[in-house]
Amino acid sequence: MARVSLPTTARLPSSLRVDASNPAVIKVLNRLSRTSLLSLVLDWLDPKNLTLCPPVLRHPEEGEDDEDEDDLYPPARSLDELQSIYVDLQARKGSRREVVDRIIEGDWRHGLSLYQLAMADMQYLYDHPGTLKWSTYRIERLQTPRHEDDVDADGIRRPEKIDKASLAIPRFHPSTFLQNLQAEVLPDVKAHYNLDRPPGLPLLLLRIFVLDSPYNTDLAVSSKNQNRSRASITTTVRTSTGSLIEMSAPNPSARDRRSGAAAPASFDASRTIYVAFPDAAPYVYISRSQSSGPTTPSDTKSLRTLVVEGIPKALSRPRERYALRPSDLHTKNLEALLAARGPGRGAAAAGGWSVYAAGAGEARDKALVSPLNVALPVTPPDSDAEGRAKKRGREEEEEEERLRKRRVARARFGDAARMDDGKGVERVDILLEDGFPALPGLDTNTLVEDDDEQEADMAGRANKPGRKKSGNTSSLFATEEGDEEGEREGDGRNRRRKPGETNWRPNLKLTFHGPHVFAGIRQLVEAGIVDGARAPGWMTGEEGVTVGVVREGRIRGFKGSGVGG
Amino acid sequence: MDTRESRSPDQSVADKLDDEIANLRAQVESLKKELALQTSTLMTSEPIQKLLQPDRSGRPRSKQTEVDSKEKLLARAQDQNARKQQCLYRTCASITTFKIHDPDPNAVDDGHVLGVRLEVMSKSRFLRPYYVMLNRPYSERRYLRVHRHTVPQCIPLAGLAARYLPAPSNKRDHNDSSKQDLSQFVRALRREIVRYHNRNAVIGDLRKSAGLESKTERSQEQEVPIVDISAADAEAKQISVGWGDGRSGRLVMDDDGTIVKMVVQGENGRDRDAVRQLLGGSARIEEVVRRLEGI
Repeated sequence: MARVSLPTTARLPSSLRVDASNPAVIKVLNRLSRTSLLSLVLDWLDPKNLTLCPPVLRHPEEGEDDEDEDDLYPPARSLDELQSIYVDLQARKGSRREVVDRIIEGDWRHGLSLYQLAMADMQYLYDHPGTLKWSTYRIERLQTPRHEDDVDADGIRRPEKIDKASLAIPRFHPSTFLQNLQAEVLPDVKAHYNLDRPPGLPLLLLRIFVLDSPYNTDLAVSSKNQNRSRASITTTVRTSTGSLIEMSAPNPSARDRRSGAAAPASFDASRTIYVAFPDAAPYVYISRSQSSGPTTPSDTKSLRTLVVEGIPKALSRPRERYALRPSDLHTKNLEALLAARGPGRGAAAAGGWSVYAAGAGEARDKALVSPLNVALPVTPPDSDAEGRAKKRGREEEEEEERLRKRRVARARFGDAARMDDGKGVERVDILLEDGFPALPGLDTNTLVEDDDEQEADMAGRANKPGRKKSGNTSSLFATEEGDEEGEREGDGRNRRRKPGETNWRPNLKLTFHGPHVFAGIRQLVEAGIVDGARAPGWMTGEEGVTVGVVREGRIRGFKGSGVGG
Repeated sequence: MDTRESRSPDQSVADKLDDEIANLRAQVESLKKELALQTSTLMTSEPIQKLLQPDRSGRPRSKQTEVDSKEKLLARAQDQNARKQQCLYRTCASITTFKIHDPDPNAVDDGHVLGVRLEVMSKSRFLRPYYVMLNRPYSERRYLRVHRHTVPQCIPLAGLAARYLPAPSNKRDHNDSSKQDLSQFVRALRREIVRYHNRNAVIGDLRKSAGLESKTERSQEQEVPIVDISAADAEAKQISVGWGDGRSGRLVMDDDGTIVKMVVQGENGRDRDAVRQLLGGSARIEEVVRRLEGI
């Protein structure tokens, strides 16, 4: 350990070790299942990673008799021996506890490096992909000011304009980006970065681990208030892993550490935030930050703001500046994000338009692909259509009606929004700002009495998808008497009022919940509960947003086409 | 032992049946394809067309069912002819337009959408075409706006749209500055797409000439073989090259494949010899491909 620690602006090194008895370490390891824990350990023991995660090995000069009899996990003599121990554990059945204890009491008793913790955290994310909520941002080029005066005219800084006519595609270079991002991080905060490529997803995942400390040495991971943290640690250790204290007590080094000069490390206010960069797409996905220890909501918010503000600066270069613009898509499903904001063709052609975007692999009608094939395209056969064609009378009509609904659903949703496509978003919020439709023969004033019922109808229709798909979901809709005119006129300058629309604008918010919202709506269309031909476009998910304001029946200013409104 | 012996013939019988079923399915597929092909050829042939023409002589000898089936056939033949014509245009023109109806009941302009289909060829094969759908959201004006598209993200569609299809300005007197030019837009877009595919193809050629595509070990006369060539960015303008001894390089080309610069980083800093060895004074990326083939 370095005797003198100077405050610096450097990042936290990956090899920095955190004490193994730290509750944060135990928590990170305990989250993993036994199998992924074991494969993780074998990854640590891989010669490529070994410099960053060195295990405790017995010194070759030490003889057999030096062995501490009380040591439950005597250190292995060589790397191969250690590897075979863990391979044996993999073959054997047992508890996760056994492996965790072996790691923190035995082979990594001197502490786990930040790199190891990052790997463990990433492994947890891969095992449980739905644990983080992501928001998408679009990277946009800013106009280069033509002249210095443009920037600082009259001493007032003008907001930068987005260069819409720019043909540049932002390029992402990981190491340069990290250097620039580090420059944006404040000196009283230290961060550790870890880049990884999740298996099977075309994106690069950056884990940013932030500690409130001016040092980038051991001091950063040890607590400022030794007494307080020690007290807290002993209690946590006792409650979380029962017999740990007794077991580790005979180990002299561990005992020294616990009672001696170096207080056990504690992440009093550590926060983790993930940033994902999809390949070949000008978007960034940023996760909500997770924190260990007591933090206030404003605290985590500020970290997020820091990252959101730092990323465009880190991407920018002299005379080439970028900004991030939120793109109204929030979900826990990375696959859904990649489908709507990824490199594929379907990004700006979702919903019913996806028939044009289908990749070569999933093209059912190859005739659409090559103009050299002159055979007539065959309409995709409706399932079990042929078998039941012989039915008579009412049954036949019902069958036809069912097929018609399926065709309507196909026209509106295309090949997208299937229950099993794994691209489900779990929540969609829509705010309706349209005037209430006037009914013939009714005055606006008398309408006000009726419309509660009407709204209940509408909301009920929207309500059902959520309920049907998962039992415990709820749908929320709030109706308030809209402020008649005044306010609305202000922001609706260039709106035309449709004929047959009343002045009355209810403030209507729809929330759809479920494992796959749009697949649920599709099922409702197929079942005939929602009229597929009359359902508005935002119900089919073709806009690719999960938060939106509807005006004139369309989501205002969607970014799906890449042009923006 | 007994059980194993008795099981293996069973399994083989089941396997055989599975194989047979798979074979038959494949046969059905190929026969269906052939049927579709023959139908389309026959339908568009001249004698059949003549036969299908509605009977003008007015002889009442044909029965009702015959007339029905003839009408069906005629409709089918018309579809086939339309399809044939479409394919002909698509093959020859590379940019074709068509009409789409927006299924959204609240769509602007009553759901009228103009579809533009851009054909791209790569490796002497038609790829799945790219589509751009345009609509007219601006009231009382014929200005177009990109509604949906399937163009990849690495093509700066938004920038091109802002240049060639600007939104109408609110000021009436200022109309000249925002004139839309659809054909110019589509031309520029196609140019970008084709250049992108050409760049990708040339990277594929580079890999092939460096012996990275073929599985069989090719005789390496170079002392240090190239182990990796891949596109390093979204637009496929930068190529990263990796050598067997850990050196790595970056080649930057412009839109059209002219080499802008190349840097190779070895253990001891920049390795200018490797650059010279690889490029050898080539100005274009295709020359590098030929050089690699020659080595």
